[in-house]
Amino acid sequence: MRLLTFIFTQTGRNVLQSWGLQLMTLLTVTLSVLIFSFFYLIYVNMVQTGVRLGEELRLIVYLDSGLTADEQILFTKKVESFSKVDKVVFITPDEAFAQLRDQLGNDRDVLEDLDSSFLPYSVEIYPHKDLKNLSRIKDFSDYLENLPGTAKVQYGHGWVERFEYFTKLLRFIVIISGSLLILTTMFMVSNTLRLSLYARQKELKVLRYLGATNSYIKGPVLIEGFLLGFVGAGIGLLSLFSLFQWIKSHFAGPSLVNLFKLNFLPWSHCTAILLCSVLLCVLGSLLSIRKFLKI
Amino acid sequence: MQEHTEDRPTFTFQPSMEDHSEGDEKSIIVELVKVTKIYPPDVVALRNVSFTARKGEIVFLTGASGAGKTTLLKLLCRLERPTKGLIEIGGNDLNKLNSNATQKLRQRIGVAYQDFRLLPRQSVYQNIAMAMEVQFKNKKEIKQRVLELLEKLSLSEKIHKPAGKLSRGEQQRVAIARAAANVPPLILADEPTGNLDPQTTSQVMDLFHELNESGSAIIIATHDKSIYQGTHHQQFELQQGELQRVNS
Repeated sequence: MRLLTFIFTQTGRNVLQSWGLQLMTLLTVTLSVLIFSFFYLIYVNMVQTGVRLGEELRLIVYLDSGLTADEQILFTKKVESFSKVDKVVFITPDEAFAQLRDQLGNDRDVLEDLDSSFLPYSVEIYPHKDLKNLSRIKDFSDYLENLPGTAKVQYGHGWVERFEYFTKLLRFIVIISGSLLILTTMFMVSNTLRLSLYARQKELKVLRYLGATNSYIKGPVLIEGFLLGFVGAGIGLLSLFSLFQWIKSHFAGPSLVNLFKLNFLPWSHCTAILLCSVLLCVLGSLLSIRKFLKI
Repeated sequence: MQEHTEDRPTFTFQPSMEDHSEGDEKSIIVELVKVTKIYPPDVVALRNVSFTARKGEIVFLTGASGAGKTTLLKLLCRLERPTKGLIEIGGNDLNKLNSNATQKLRQRIGVAYQDFRLLPRQSVYQNIAMAMEVQFKNKKEIKQRVLELLEKLSLSEKIHKPAGKLSRGEQQRVAIARAAANVPPLILADEPTGNLDPQTTSQVMDLFHELNESGSAIIIATHDKSIYQGTHHQQFELQQGELQRVNS
């Protein structure tokens, strides 16, 4: 108990003695956490949007016009027998024409002089969740393309590819920014604490001469590191949350932001970021103290 | 001194270091056997120095400047390592102590350095209290002891003054008070009266005698003949690194 009292008293003294340096470090930790978690937040939302869009994904197979009704049924049954397919809907030209008219809304007049005969028979395929991965969808599409009776397969692959590419790019940015910020945080924390220890070098020497144990010297520095990591990450995450709320409230309505249902980082992710920040800062403080224990 | 009777000096930081003071012979606190210290490249500070100090003894080390007195004291508190020879404190070979054991040992040795080694921006109180804080003594005990020492050394009025703003004589007394704060089993004092007038010298020596009566072994390196002449305590003289006994 006395050890703890002394350690906390000493921590308080140290913080007061070098508050300018400590504030700078706190700011660095806060900014690092804010930058990293900002990119991470975008990434998480992109992934969630990707999953949601993937659930709505379907492939449309346009059938050759020369197929007989029996061949069309046979084709549908063949696709249905594929284990990775959830549902198959056969669409006649009339049904397709009706859908098109609905989609055109007020512009449906353009179809007035036409009938459904220009539209082909088609099959809508809802793939199983396992298949909702760009490369697997593509393989499946190639397979369908080669089936006898297939005229064309469509699943908006250009859009899906771009989305997948953007998500990959964002993942790369998160990993790179995360790694750089980890290094920056550790470097800053260990160097700031080292500077504050250099400022107290004489005191530390005297303490060692008087018999101060490693834990007596180390304890306050580790607690400083812990506080820097905890408070810095806490402020960073709170700032991100405020920014997130501001974006949500200012960009509410029929805008791009509404296409993506924005969610803040889950508690478990926030806790993990907080713990990582604390761990990094404690490691940084351990690195800084080593030299001073050799007196 | 009533409150310090439970704090009688003893080396107990390792199980093997029991105090044998209850025996017929007083236990050996310090033992040096053929200790040599050579500073690179070839400056011989001490040569084959051997001596023992027992519990409750006062030992005076005299000699000209540069004779090796300060080096000898630094070896005893392990600020320096010997080039050759054996140094035992409380039965512990200093060469074999690890970092933590060294720190525990230093807690049992009060050192008044020649250059004081005070923290100039901290108050007199904080400088003295620090020695007790590293041993996790409670605040009340620390306050009581510090006030008592300041009273004995006529420094009560300077209690809140930064140590750096004191005269050298006052700083010297603060350093002595810090060395005496824990009533350690071993006290090392390097020129403790070098900056003091006869009256304060007498106060310092009274404090040393008081500590000595409570069981502390005290080793004093000094030029000041007035504190050792005519006393019955052991005296050694260092001459160019070699130790010679002056009295028996």
